[in-house]
Amino acid sequence: MAPAYDVEFVEREERKARFLVRGVTPAFANGIRRAMVADVPTMAIDEVRFIENSSVMFDEQIALRMGLIPLTTPPEGEFVEGDTVTLAIDVEGPGTAYSGDFVSSDELVKPADLNVPIIDLKDGQRLEAEADAAMDRGKSHARHQGGVAVGYRHLQRVEVVGDRDQFEDEEPHIVRGVIEDDGELVPTSEFDHDLTVRYPGKEVRIEDVPNAFVFHVETDGSFSVEELVTRAIDSLEQRARELEDAVQL
Amino acid sequence: MELRVTESSENELSIEIGGEDHTFMNVLKGALLEHDDVSAATYDMNPEQSGGQTDPILTVKTIDGVDPLDALEAGAATVREKTSALREAFEAA
Repeated sequence: MAPAYDVEFVEREERKARFLVRGVTPAFANGIRRAMVADVPTMAIDEVRFIENSSVMFDEQIALRMGLIPLTTPPEGEFVEGDTVTLAIDVEGPGTAYSGDFVSSDELVKPADLNVPIIDLKDGQRLEAEADAAMDRGKSHARHQGGVAVGYRHLQRVEVVGDRDQFEDEEPHIVRGVIEDDGELVPTSEFDHDLTVRYPGKEVRIEDVPNAFVFHVETDGSFSVEELVTRAIDSLEQRARELEDAVQL
Repeated sequence: MELRVTESSENELSIEIGGEDHTFMNVLKGALLEHDDVSAATYDMNPEQSGGQTDPILTVKTIDGVDPLDALEAGAATVREKTSALREAFEAA
């Protein structure tokens, strides 16, 4: 009795996407969301050895900043939890040390964005350090969280039920998310989230479409949206398989 | 995944599932409740508010003649079917 799911993309970019899933139960949708946030491992710096830090900030503060820089995460199978990659940085002031100044020992693991400022160095100040990046899950620390803005909403169906009363005041009717109008998916941003813009002078009824969820997924650059979603599904599946095996014994 | 049975009878089973949280437990509970031979399924994340114990305890009740352990296995299989179906649908989109 394999369930029938239907996935349709509303917006699709490398790091940001919105897609509709039909036929999914709220429990399952939330499992996927939680897995995306906390259970998909990513690379992040978790140990820093300072060779020289004559900047105005303490080693620990700079180490925290380095930890929060998103790093690209290698394809599944290349790394396992516990593996490390070393990145080195050496910047001398005056100037700003950026994430792009990191030199990685592995092509697969490097800063996802090159323009994250680490610290502003004044004349004569210098930052030289070696950092170890490790693979871990968002559950252990936010720096390992691959999905940064992950959520879902019900798909909403809009139906025109008649004309608005002639003397009724025109009031904005705000809806956010994605609406379904005669089978067509329309992000509410197209009409400024206001139904009276799309249906002027009409009376409309909106209802949640059961078991249809519009996911909004944004990644920190560690991997693409597709990768994040697939890995989240894998993580749930792997646990189900583990439980199945454990129960069979 | 470490399993420890805390209570077991003919039609009821309480089992501690080590290292899991709401992410998996709620999906599993939802899947169990879809089965007709499961009459009740729930989980408790902080049983008895006991000091420090946070591994969830899953409780499954089944109808007569059905081993709750078999029902649990079927529930896990349902989750697996759901994930592979969703992966397929997602990759096709």
